[in-house]
Amino acid sequence: MGHDGGRPAALRPVIESRRVRWATATALGAGLALLVAVLPAWAQEAAGGAAAGAREYGQFPGIGSRAAIWIAAEVHLMFAAFVLGVPMFAMVAEAIGIFGGDERYDRLAKEFTRLLLIAYSATAIWGAVLLFFLTTLYPRFWSHMASIFEVSMWIYVGLFFLESFTLYLYYYGWERMQEGGAKYAHWGLAILLNVWGTAVMFIADSWLSYMMSPPATVTTDTASGMVQLWSVINNATWMPINIHRVIANVVFGGAVVAAYAAYRFLAAKSDEERAHYDWMGYVGNLIAIGALIVLPFAGYYLGREIYEYNEQMGITMMGGFMSWLWIIQAFLIGVLFLAGNYYLWVGMQRIPGAERFLPYTKWMLLVLIIGVIVWATPHTMIADRAELEAMGGSHHPFLGVLGVMSAKNTAVNLMILTTFLSFLLYRRANKRPVVSWARAATLVQSALFVIAAAIVLFYGVYGYFVTAIVRIGFSVYQVLAVLFTIVGVTAIDVFMLRGAESRGAVRWGKMPERSQYALFVLVVTFTWLMGLMGFARSGIRQHWHVWEVMRDTSPWAATPALGYAATMISACVLIFLGLISFIFWLGGLVEKPQLVPKRG
Amino acid sequence: MWATNLKILGVTLGTIALYTLVANVIPQIESEVPEELSFTGEVTAAELVAAGEELYAGAGGCTACHGLGERAPNLLTGEGDQGPIGTRCGSRVEGEDCKAYLHRSMVEPGAFVLAGYQPIMPDMSRTLSANQIWAVVAYLESQGGQVDVTAADLEAETATEEAPAGGSGVAEVATTDPQELLNQMQCLACHRLGSQGQEVGPPFDGIGGRRDAAYIRGSILDPAAQVAPGYEQFAGIMPTNFGERLSAAQLEAVVDFLAGQR
Repeated sequence: MGHDGGRPAALRPVIESRRVRWATATALGAGLALLVAVLPAWAQEAAGGAAAGAREYGQFPGIGSRAAIWIAAEVHLMFAAFVLGVPMFAMVAEAIGIFGGDERYDRLAKEFTRLLLIAYSATAIWGAVLLFFLTTLYPRFWSHMASIFEVSMWIYVGLFFLESFTLYLYYYGWERMQEGGAKYAHWGLAILLNVWGTAVMFIADSWLSYMMSPPATVTTDTASGMVQLWSVINNATWMPINIHRVIANVVFGGAVVAAYAAYRFLAAKSDEERAHYDWMGYVGNLIAIGALIVLPFAGYYLGREIYEYNEQMGITMMGGFMSWLWIIQAFLIGVLFLAGNYYLWVGMQRIPGAERFLPYTKWMLLVLIIGVIVWATPHTMIADRAELEAMGGSHHPFLGVLGVMSAKNTAVNLMILTTFLSFLLYRRANKRPVVSWARAATLVQSALFVIAAAIVLFYGVYGYFVTAIVRIGFSVYQVLAVLFTIVGVTAIDVFMLRGAESRGAVRWGKMPERSQYALFVLVVTFTWLMGLMGFARSGIRQHWHVWEVMRDTSPWAATPALGYAATMISACVLIFLGLISFIFWLGGLVEKPQLVPKRG
Repeated sequence: MWATNLKILGVTLGTIALYTLVANVIPQIESEVPEELSFTGEVTAAELVAAGEELYAGAGGCTACHGLGERAPNLLTGEGDQGPIGTRCGSRVEGEDCKAYLHRSMVEPGAFVLAGYQPIMPDMSRTLSANQIWAVVAYLESQGGQVDVTAADLEAETATEEAPAGGSGVAEVATTDPQELLNQMQCLACHRLGSQGQEVGPPFDGIGGRRDAAYIRGSILDPAAQVAPGYEQFAGIMPTNFGERLSAAQLEAVVDFLAGQR
């Protein structure tokens, strides 16, 4: 990979540069052309809403319309998450390069922006596929959406163009804007790229969140001309979904970066290359797991807003036919925590001084495993009469009420604290603080951990002795205790380790190969989890295109069981991972990354 | 490198296969679309009960809350020391027989909220048709009680559905007496006025001193527009169709009456 035959070295940059331009320009051009080609059909559909009433649904051969739209939407979303997550990653990496003076981060940011160019066109292509499918397979529904959201759709297209050309400028201006004030202007482009990207996502989020939580002013009889655009955009779940997705995109971007680095690490031909990709994998994993730690809090916010919007919808999601979905989610998140921590613990073997922390890992593993078991304990599952009679009541005869949210919240908060502790130990493994107050600060940090764990456990146990509505409120105290500890301990650590002595440089590249497979498990699990949560969000609408506004009267209106959904999710994950692997391979063909000598 | 590629492929496919397998071995529950019921005048109790059972356990979504003993009362098994719903429904509310009580519980869920439970039950007429609701009533009656839903109930409901409804300019009731309207529209199921009603929503006592007539009118016509502080958790419960159910004169009578409560 990345070899350039026998061409003279002096010609390579020119040839590579041309290749990159042609490849990206062709791919982006194709994507944009497809999108533009769809617009007339889209506009026609919007204008001819009444005429479309004669034909409500189309039929997709073989797999049916629901499966077709499912795949198009999910794969588009996965690419979209990648192309929104990576610019955030690039913006932060470039900033570290500028303000921290570590040139590796600048190269890292550029390497991923190059892949972004190709992934961006794939996103546009899948977006166009989704749009074609919506207009041909679900014309009545799409006519409704287009008639309400038309203005926001025009803005969306405009922002899409701005985002594309900012990306061109960002990537192709990289080398020219390397020095002095130009470098800051270049970083400004990264910020602008993220602004456009986030705005695009917010608009798309308004469409899907409207389907889930339309405002009360919109009913089955409301004429589209009477709908106020802002009221449907700013619906009950719009902002929670925006926040959740921004964080999830960072997680996803980090995980894909880490998996890419893992592959390059395993394929590396030299120690230098291996060291570079080992370091890149570490950075990707750090970002993914770091953002994952705060993701559950955004999830709680979204869940709370769903309950407040419509209690029935919330109950359907958590306790109705979807109740088993959360057991699968607990299993997947358990895998994420275990794989992320495992990677860190194995990584500590290449850090001088980390030996002193290794004995703690078995206890941390124990906490994580117990946490996963508790979190995955079923509770208030939907049951028919025969099952209720077999259990002798509404709960399992042995487990009883063990699986209530008190126990689950306690488990997940302790898992978050444990993972944070892993990061902390990893971070300070080869450092010896020189400040006089280091011992006192470490004691304060330890006390913060103990107090947070005690608060989490106290409310976890107390929750069994109060009513459900009071119990739900306890989760806020648990979350606040954990967040306070994370922020407080990190702040202390930053000041304490300023000017710290090194116990030895990190031996980048001296990482067992098995650790890299943990990064593959992480990216597969994140992608699968994204598909699962997409099903949860979409499935709680049940047989409604737009909740209590427009019924789904197609032959696929029933919301499928988890087994079918899992098969669909797996198909989407395979398509996405297959395509993204191809893109990475393509990226390796056109340009070899410039490796910068590593630091400790 | 081929061996490494194969290992990566194996890990990827193995992880995906594991998740797919786990999701396939757990209980498979599909959210069905409520099947539209059409009965003739010769419908039997057994047919109604069978249709109701299917809705109760499936598309009606009833089992998400009823039967767990936490979110809503158990209906098929005992609630406390009482028997299943069919044995207790006739004595729950004075003056309401079992059939009327169950039907009203489904279409006006705020009317009867059992002590110890939150008013989370949705108005089932928004998701089920009249026939479907009667079928569920019949099924619940069959749980230890006597099924007395008949074709006459279904026909009466169908006739009501076919009559000019909201939006036609014809109000549900004729009176313009505001207190009578508050009773007819079930406002006191959620708002307290003197010794009457419950406090799920803001009390009517003194509302004229806190809000002007325009605000009260707006809250009746579009309850979601402004939710009173402290009652956010109940947002969405208040019906949104009073603008269709009340005539202009009735609406103004209610607004004037409430604005006068100081």
